[in-house]
Order: sequence, then C-alpha cells, then structure tokens
Amino acid sequence: MENFLQQLLNGLSLGGIYALIALGYTMVYGVLKLINFAHGDLFTIGAYVGFTLLVSVGITDSVDPMAALIIMGATVMLFVATLGVGLERAAYRPLRHSPRLSAVVSALGASIFFQNAVMLIYGARFHVYPQGLFTKSTLSLFGLYLPLVKVFVLMVSLVVMTLLYFFIQKTLTGAAIRAVAIDHNAARLVGINVDKVVTIVFVVGPALGGLAGLMVGLLYGQITFTMGWLYGLKAFTAAILGGIGNIPGAMLGGIILGIIESMASAYLSIAWKDAVTFVVLILILTIRPTGILGERIAEKV
Amino acid sequence: MKRPVSFNPLWVFFIVIFALPPLLDPYWVDVLNNVGLYAILGISLNLIVGHTGLFNLGHAAFYAIGAYTSAILNTKYHMPILSILPLSGFTAGLFAFMVMRPIIHLRGDYLCIVTIGVGEIVRIALVNNIFGITGGSNGIFGIARPELFGYVIRSPHQFFYLIWIFLIITVVVFKRLEHSRVGRAFNCIRDDEIAAQGCGINVASYKLTAFVIGATWAGMTGNIFATKMTIISPESFSFWESVIMFTIVILGGAGSIEGTIIGAFLIIGLPEIFRDLSSARMLVFGLAMVIMMILRPRGLIPPKLRSYNVRSILERDYSV
Amino acid sequence: MKRWIVGVLAFCSGLFFSLVVANGANEVKIGLMGPMTGKWASEGQEMKQVLDLLVEDVNAKGGVNGMKVNLVVEDDGGDPRTAALAAQKLVTQKVIAVIGTYGSAVTEASQGIFNEAKVIQIANGSTAIRLTEKKLPYFFRTCPRDDEQAKVAVQTIRKLGFKNIAILHDNTTYAKGLAEEAKGLLEKEAGGVKIVFFDALTPGEQDYTAILTKLKSASPDMVFFTGYYPEAGLLLKQKKEMKWDVPFIGGDATNNPDLVKIAGKEAAVGFYFLSAPLPKDLPSGEAKTLLEAFSKKYGNPPNSIYAVLAGDGFRVIIKAIETTKSTDPDKLADYLHKELKDFPGFTGSIAFDEKGDRVGEVYRVYKVDEKGQFILQP
Repeated sequence: MENFLQQLLNGLSLGGIYALIALGYTMVYGVLKLINFAHGDLFTIGAYVGFTLLVSVGITDSVDPMAALIIMGATVMLFVATLGVGLERAAYRPLRHSPRLSAVVSALGASIFFQNAVMLIYGARFHVYPQGLFTKSTLSLFGLYLPLVKVFVLMVSLVVMTLLYFFIQKTLTGAAIRAVAIDHNAARLVGINVDKVVTIVFVVGPALGGLAGLMVGLLYGQITFTMGWLYGLKAFTAAILGGIGNIPGAMLGGIILGIIESMASAYLSIAWKDAVTFVVLILILTIRPTGILGERIAEKV
Repeated sequence: MKRPVSFNPLWVFFIVIFALPPLLDPYWVDVLNNVGLYAILGISLNLIVGHTGLFNLGHAAFYAIGAYTSAILNTKYHMPILSILPLSGFTAGLFAFMVMRPIIHLRGDYLCIVTIGVGEIVRIALVNNIFGITGGSNGIFGIARPELFGYVIRSPHQFFYLIWIFLIITVVVFKRLEHSRVGRAFNCIRDDEIAAQGCGINVASYKLTAFVIGATWAGMTGNIFATKMTIISPESFSFWESVIMFTIVILGGAGSIEGTIIGAFLIIGLPEIFRDLSSARMLVFGLAMVIMMILRPRGLIPPKLRSYNVRSILERDYSV
Repeated sequence: MKRWIVGVLAFCSGLFFSLVVANGANEVKIGLMGPMTGKWASEGQEMKQVLDLLVEDVNAKGGVNGMKVNLVVEDDGGDPRTAALAAQKLVTQKVIAVIGTYGSAVTEASQGIFNEAKVIQIANGSTAIRLTEKKLPYFFRTCPRDDEQAKVAVQTIRKLGFKNIAILHDNTTYAKGLAEEAKGLLEKEAGGVKIVFFDALTPGEQDYTAILTKLKSASPDMVFFTGYYPEAGLLLKQKKEMKWDVPFIGGDATNNPDLVKIAGKEAAVGFYFLSAPLPKDLPSGEAKTLLEAFSKKYGNPPNSIYAVLAGDGFRVIIKAIETTKSTDPDKLADYLHKELKDFPGFTGSIAFDEKGDRVGEVYRVYKVDEKGQFILQP
C-alpha cells in the first residue's frame, strides 16, 4: 500500500510536467490543427535560457531566491514566446492554406533546426543547474517521500493551468481563441482577427513550454539538447489521450500518462513501461476514438 | 478507345542513374543505395499517406518486422536470404492487418499517435528480446549476403543494381495500382471519406488494404536492408526512421511516385552533401526542410490531377 | 516535369565534383570516426579535440617518417547506418588507419567495411565481447572488454561483502551485455549471493523515482548500474531525495566528472565505479603532458576516458608506422599483433593479443569522496 501511494505520488509529479508541455501542443492544435513538433525543442530552449540566467548571468547573486525565480520565469517565458511567434511567422504562416501535412514537415524541420542550434551554442555536453537553489528538504508523510522542489513545481503547474483555463473560458480573448478553433472563416465573419489570435496562441503555448523547461531544469538539474524530443513525444501522447484541442483534456491526459508510467514500472516491467503506456493509449482510443475528454467530431452530412 | 501514351521522364532518369555507378566510388554508390532503399520505403508509405490520406508515423514497424523475419530465418534456419523476400513481406502485411484492424476507424491525428505507438511497441519488443529471438539491443548479426544464380552480391556497386532494380519493379507495381480501381478508391477516401462511403466504397476495408499493401512492401525492403547491412538492431527502426520516411513522402509531393524518389534524394542525399559542415550539418538540413516546404507547399512534384478525356467517354460505344 | 530532370542531373554532377579529392603525396591520412552529432556528440567532439592536439604535436615534430599526418574526421552520428556510410567515405579517402568509434553497435556496422578495404581500425569505446571474437585481422581496440569488466565487478562485490544484488541496465548493447555477464558470474558465485532485481530503465528520461521506489521494495544491499553517467547521476540524486542510502556501483560508462555535477556532491559521495585508470592517476609523463596541453588549449581537462583512449589508439598507430617504416596494412597489423609490447600509453602500457584485444588488467575501482573527487581504491 505504501508502495502504491508512493508510486501514485511519483506519477502525479511526472504527470504535472507532461501536462504543462501538453498544453502548448493542444492550444496550437486547437487553432491550427497542426502538430507543432518543434514544441519539444522550445521546451529545451526554455531549460537552457534558465541555465544561462542562473550560471552566466548569476541571477541568484544579486536578488533573493524567490525574486530570482519570478524574474527567471518571466524572462524564460518572454524569450521562448518571442521564438514561438517568430517560428509561426517564418515556418507555419506561409503554409496555413497548404495541405496540413506540409506544415507538419515544416515543424519537423524547425525541430531539427532548434535542437542543433542549441547544440552549437551550448555544446553537446550535459549542463547542470546549480544545486541548492531551493532547500533540499524532503517532505515525508507516513513513510512517503516528496521533495519540496516537486511540491513547488506541481503547485506552479496547477496555478498556471488554472489561470489558463480561466483565460480561455472567461475572457473575451479566450472566447476568440475558442471561436477560431471551431472555424477560421466563421470567426473572421464575426470580426475576429484570426492572425492575431494565432499569434496569441503562439505566445501562450511556447511560453508554457519554456516554463516547463525551466521547471524540469530546477527539478532534475540535468539538461541536454536532445531532451525535448522525448518529452515532446510524451506530451503529445498526453494531449491525444485527453482529447487534442481540449485544454482540461491535456491536463488530465498528462496526469494519467504520468500515473500509467509509474504504475507500469511498479507492477509490470520497467523495460516494457513505454510499450505498456502505448497499449493502454490504444485501448483507450479504441473505446473513445477522440480521447478521454475529446468531443465527437461532427460528421459532414 | 485510344489513350495517348505520355512519355514519362522517370525512365530517362533511371537510365541515367543506372549508368552512374561505374563512375562513382563506393561511398557515393552506397549513398545512392540508401537513397534507393528509402525511395522504395517512401513509395510504400506514399500509398498510405499520399494516396489514402492516412497519417502514418509508424511505418518503421513494418520495415522492422520484414527485416527481423529475414534475419531470423536466415541465421537460424539458413534459408537463402532472397528466398525469404516474399515471406518477409507477408509477415509484415499480416502484422499490419492484425494490428490495424481494430483501430482503422480512428481519424487523422488519433490514427497518427496510434501508429507511433505501434512503432514504439515493436521497437521496445525488439529491444527486450521478445520470444528470445531478436537478440535484444545487440540485434542479429551474421546475416548472409544475397546470392543470385551462384553469384554473391557483396560490394556497394553490386547492391546498387539489386536495390535499384527492385525500385523499378516497385515503381511499375505502384503505378499500376495508382491507376487501378483500387487506386481510385484510395484517392476518393482521401479527398472525401463521406462521399466515398456514399459511392459504396467500403472505407474501412480499403484503408486496411492500403496499410497491408504498404506494410508488405516495407517488409520486403526490410529484407534487402538486412542483407545489405548484415547486422540489424532495433536502433535502425526507431520513431525517427518513420519520421524520415514520412518527410520523404510529404517533401517530394504526397501522392506522387516521382516526387517520393526526389524526396529520398533530398532527405538522404543532403545530409551527406552537407558532411563538410561537420557538426552544423543537421542545422542546415533542418532549415532546408522548412524552406523547401515553404517554397513548394504541395511538395516538389505534386501529383498531377487525374484527367479524363470526356469526349472519348461520351463517344464510347455502349451497345452490347 | 523537365525541371526536375535538370535537378537530378545537377545533383548527380554534384556527386562527380565532390569526387575530386585533393591527393597530397607526402602525407599520411588517419581517419577519425566518431559521433560528432547526435546523443553522444560530447564524446565524439572530445575525441576530435584530443586527436587534433596529438596531430598538431606530431606534425610540429616533423611528422611521421617525414610525412605530415592529415586527420580525416567523419561523423557517425552514433547511428549504425550513418557509421556504415562514414566508413565507406573514409575508405574512399584512402586512410591508412581509423580511430574509433564510440558505441559497440556503431563500431560493428563499420567493421566489415574497414576489414574488406584492409584499413586498420582501432576502436576506443566499444567494449562488446563479440567485436573481437570474429578475429578480424585489422581490428584492434584500446578499451577493454565487457567480460573483463564483469569479472572485476564481481570481485569488487565479493570484496565488499554484498549478498542481495540488484542489477539495473539501460538496454543498450553495452550496458545489457555487461549486466548479463555480471549476472551470469554472480549466479555461479558461492556463498549465497542472490540477484533480487534485474531490469532496464529507459535512457534519456529524467524522472527515475518510479524505478527507485520499485528497486527499494526489492531491498537489495547494493545496486549495480551498468548504464551511462547521465542516468547514474540522476539515480543518485533522486535516491538521496528519497532518503534511501543503498550503495551503488557503476560500470565504466559512469566515469565522467559530470556525474558528480548532475548528482550533487552529497548524493554522489560513496558511489563506486569501475574504470580504466583516470589520466590523473597515471604516473606516466605522457598522460600529464596531455592533460596540461589539453587544458591549455580547450580550457578544461578532458572529461571522457574514451577520448583519451582514442588518443592512445592514435599514438599506437603512429608508433607502428614509425617502426615498420611502412604504411602497408598487413605489416602494420602484424606489428601491432606481435611486436608491440609495453607501449607507454596514456592509460597504461599497451599491447594487443591475436584477436586485437588489449592485453593486461586495465580496470580499477574508484570511489567518490566528499569533495566529489574520484579516488582510486587500493
């Protein structure tokens, strides 16, 4: 039982990260119907920008840790959001009216470009976040362990997701995003500037991805230029699992994916863990073809 | 009815290519060999992605099944490698049928993640030495060289002719398929699934057919890959491999065989040409992918629209 | 339609032009095949740095037998197929010998090509047993074999008196080979040594808490991890966060100063690993000179022992060319197999047996101390 709860906790904290990355996928997909394969690499860039701020700029020397964190979070989000907007302008906008799969290839190209750019700028070696930024204490409750950093990261993810949810559901901009997601032309008819909405999405999605990168850096300490690929694939899986294009779905999908992974390692086999995850995904999709929270696509009549 | 036979520059291209190897060193011939292999894989995937409009990012799984079938039968039972060619295709096709049958109704990106999943499950199974026959991450080594009429194919130059003749056969077969009733049904499903259903096309069964044919062909290519490398390991069938095949199809022009061949030249050839850029070569390659897509959004050689000579149809004599 | 014919013709003529390779008469071409891109790029790039340094040094001293050394570098991307192409490319550039590469599966894909072309290959980071069991006449390696490493691992486990052993690998050719080899030896071991856990993690991930929780419930006295240093560092760090202090032993792929950086000093302390001796623990003047020169040129000492082993491979082949006064592959291979004895390499004295394996005990046991230094165990 203790083991089970500990594994549940492990899965939950991993799932929080997946969910945060999955949000970026799902938002972009919602409005453009494009799988942004470069999203994982924007996540990597977030982690590296955080590293630069900590190590080269030495941000913690001048301000106290909490303020430093906020500044770092803001800078990383701003930087990655700028890249995201640039990416959309350069690589996706020219292809908006082309066959969908062409944009997917453009996204793959951008992913290769970003990954190798990071390698050329920072070198191929692993980089390590300085230790001891946070207190290293671990919460232990009834024999379960949860490092404080994880609690912190999980809380930040939750807050960000809640904010995003209210932004999409309750604000006018959010309504515009939802409208564009349903139909570009109809949205244009009611006076929504579609290009602007797409730009907003490419600010928010990549910013969240960059933030997730920073979190992973703080949480696990070790970053490398290829890390975005694996996280990207996992987050994409999470987004599909929850129903792509659906924001609560991405959160739910991320958490469920994290839990499936830790349970599969615990009770089946570690080596087969990822295979088990995909089997579960396929089973869920055979029962619910559009993911857990995905709406049934209206069929043309 | 007489149909004007149009001259296809593809054949000129093949003649030029076949004259090349004696002038090239083994390295560039080997690059051409890889281009040829990927062109075949691309054409087989093109049937699924380009013609039928199914988002398949797990083609490497079928390729792997073919390669491993050949490797196991050859190293364990010493069957001549080329004689296993049809069998490797069959196994891959059967696998595609069994796996895709329950999930063929999934749409667009949901199908995409499932194919990624199938690819990953196959790779993980190979790494974990499933049934104790795949050799785990070491893979299988010591696969025999092919023998044709007592003549052993060994050097890159000799392999060139094996691979490119197989490519020509592939082109002929898939061209015929493209223009057949089945091919038209595939395109109909791609363009409008509901209309296809309305025309009485059994959508699920045709989609499955596309997968099975594509997988069979990828399986046979796996056989040639296995004998060319003489060692195969799960790393050669990763998700990245499926991504490359997919990129070849889209970049070349989804639905076009000529385009797929050009796509293979670019995706496999460019990184080799950029070799001198050393560690920046993949950066340039990624950038080139984006630029090419923007310049030619429908691919380098988009498929020609099907055209029919209305007059000849109208004037056709329907009397019995 | 015609446009693309032109395109293909342009491509083909591009092939022709790239054939025109400058052919210097008075030079010796030595190849380096290594992962300059891809997941092991840090290893490959450091291999190149070490060899660049050594080539400069040789050429500054007037070259070998009056001929300048020209280093031809090809990227294998850490991928078997790219390696096969890189090998073809090196062969067509008429190199005499090739140093590299890192990763057994990658090396294996290139072995046949070099052997058919009679090019000497000296691998630096390929420890799988079967590579030399094929008895290829032109294949050598400066790194030791997995079976030797497994033997040393089992000796260490015996010496430290552990009974319930957990073995964790990462499903790569090298790590799985070592894990299985060690498992086989441990099962034969007398005195109630039990293997309580045997499984593989997925390299490249960052959260290993699920695996550690499972490991912990198997309650081993010791965990033998045969994978690479990034994962080892994370395992140590997360183990510490779980407040679980079981000793860890690592294989030689965990030997990298970045391990301590990733894990943090507090978490890394007490970690044992097996490795060829570190350059700093070598009394030989060669190693010291190399370290100084390397730090001077690149700002930090080499991280990877495999880069240093690549340097050993290079010096061995230069020695062979010098002594035999020839670049004939058969003569060179013959010299390396039979005559080369006690060559003072960076990593100890070097000689090869008839299979091309390095002769002699190479492995040492290291332990991480409080300062994060690697301390040679007696």
